[in-house]
Amino acid sequence: MSIALEADRLTKTYGAVRALDEFSIAIPAGGVFGVLGPNGAGKSTLFRIALGLVRPTSGSARLFGAAPGDITALRKVGAMIETPRYPPYLTARDTLTMLALESGAKTADVGGWLERVSLTHAADRATSGFSVGMKQRLGLAAAFLTKPELVILDEPTSGMDPAGIQEIRALIVDLAKREGVTVILASHQLDEVKRVCDRVAILSRGKVVAEGGVAELTAGEARLRLTLASPLASALAVLGDRGEADGADAVLADIPRAEAPAVIRALVEAGAEIVEARWREVDLEGVYLKTLGQTPTATTVEGAA
Amino acid sequence: MLVDAIAAERFRLLRDRSTMFWGFCFAPLVGFLLSVSGDLFLRFVIKKPMPGLAVGLVDQVIKALSNGASTFGALFLMIGAAAVLAGDYRWETWRLLTPRNTRQNLLLAKLVVVGEAVFWSLLLSAVLSALAALVGSAINGKTVALSLLDRNPFDIVGVLTITWLEAMVLAALAACVGVLSRSTMGVVIACLGVRFVQTILAGALRAMEQGPPSWKLLSMPVFDADLLRAALLAPDQLGDAGSSAGVALVVLLVWTAALTAAAVWLFRRQDLTKE
Repeated sequence: MSIALEADRLTKTYGAVRALDEFSIAIPAGGVFGVLGPNGAGKSTLFRIALGLVRPTSGSARLFGAAPGDITALRKVGAMIETPRYPPYLTARDTLTMLALESGAKTADVGGWLERVSLTHAADRATSGFSVGMKQRLGLAAAFLTKPELVILDEPTSGMDPAGIQEIRALIVDLAKREGVTVILASHQLDEVKRVCDRVAILSRGKVVAEGGVAELTAGEARLRLTLASPLASALAVLGDRGEADGADAVLADIPRAEAPAVIRALVEAGAEIVEARWREVDLEGVYLKTLGQTPTATTVEGAA
Repeated sequence: MLVDAIAAERFRLLRDRSTMFWGFCFAPLVGFLLSVSGDLFLRFVIKKPMPGLAVGLVDQVIKALSNGASTFGALFLMIGAAAVLAGDYRWETWRLLTPRNTRQNLLLAKLVVVGEAVFWSLLLSAVLSALAALVGSAINGKTVALSLLDRNPFDIVGVLTITWLEAMVLAALAACVGVLSRSTMGVVIACLGVRFVQTILAGALRAMEQGPPSWKLLSMPVFDADLLRAALLAPDQLGDAGSSAGVALVVLLVWTAALTAAAVWLFRRQDLTKE
């Protein structure tokens, strides 16, 4: 499997601030990869280094094996970094035409892309009068315009209305699946990442603190919740340090799914009267908050065991 | 590819009407309007025509071109150059362009397009000065001659080239200042300041020197351009300085190349965290 974006011990400092700290990652080509993290985690710095906007203090980054800023790599990449800005005197159509010329893609389908991001009605208006959402849409069209192999999107739906968000999410998934475009997406919206991404990396203080498939990251966090009609003491004795009380009539068991039948059998043999057993899944937000050392609150989703 | 970057930059400048007008059309238009209104004023208010019986078309064009990169002309050319070379810092649009082409190509394309615009601006000056001469001769009832000073159209090409090269030294300086200051205003002020100081220094040094020009004088693009124009148009009047014309040309080329290389070097190393 080829690697779309690779960072090796990447460090970037701005004065005393360490935006990236010996950061290493290898993002494979194909699918949608989510980059999560709080403000200042290093997401935008990573993208800016990968695209040649910023030089690393130490370490290296490679796009499809080439150094950032290398023309062969740039030809394969489309990007939208932070809130896009445009020369105010250009119309939306002129902006895309100019960017297509810049990339050497003279035959780019400017009109088609304006239609796909629902900007046909504003195609010949100067971008200076565009709302944030319209600028985001135009930025997405610009990112996908030259049929890149990799698209890097930094907060692609911020400032958009709910309908626009749905539309853009669908577009990203469609492009990734149908046209084989690799998408690397940074977002604060965990729901968006969960819906769109196949794999995610969670960044904190310039380092990767968790990485894996969305299902993989959340699966390990599921706990079995057993509601009992009998006193909890016997059940807690069986579970040992893998169990804890959850209210007056239930226990939470930290056990792998495969062990559930054996544990339930042991509990019944020890005299526990089990009324209900359900898996309490921790969703991506729970994993995210836990990884960052914050307490997951109402972030759980329950499912029958 | 550089050609892609040039095509994009040209496309963009042609749609930037404000920069096109103020940077590259305003000075030639003002020259034309001042010339024609001066003739009208003399004819209908003062009611005395300018002395002389004839107007030399080539002479008028050469005069206009020679002043093309004067401090007044440079002010407007640098307004245009600043918009092209430093506009992406102002609009925060480097993030849009940098992932599409190499830094070197992006900056060189801007300089090439500024060079094209300066050329067309000088050509517009030439055409409008010829037109002003024709209109002025009609107003004052003078005859029109090709040249009263025995100059020919090839002299126009020579002066156009020298003035263009003089302006390109300033444009390359504008590229350097644009990258360093990230400011369009910074570009205009720095380039005008350099142009003005050079004019004063070159005048003062020339007045103090005798014989061939010193290396100090030759290092100044303003002096080099004047020397080259004089060598082209009136070589007999140059005296010892005539032998330095070749050096002057080399100095102009070296300044342009060195400042361009410095601008590219700086831009390739520049962090664009927030343009």
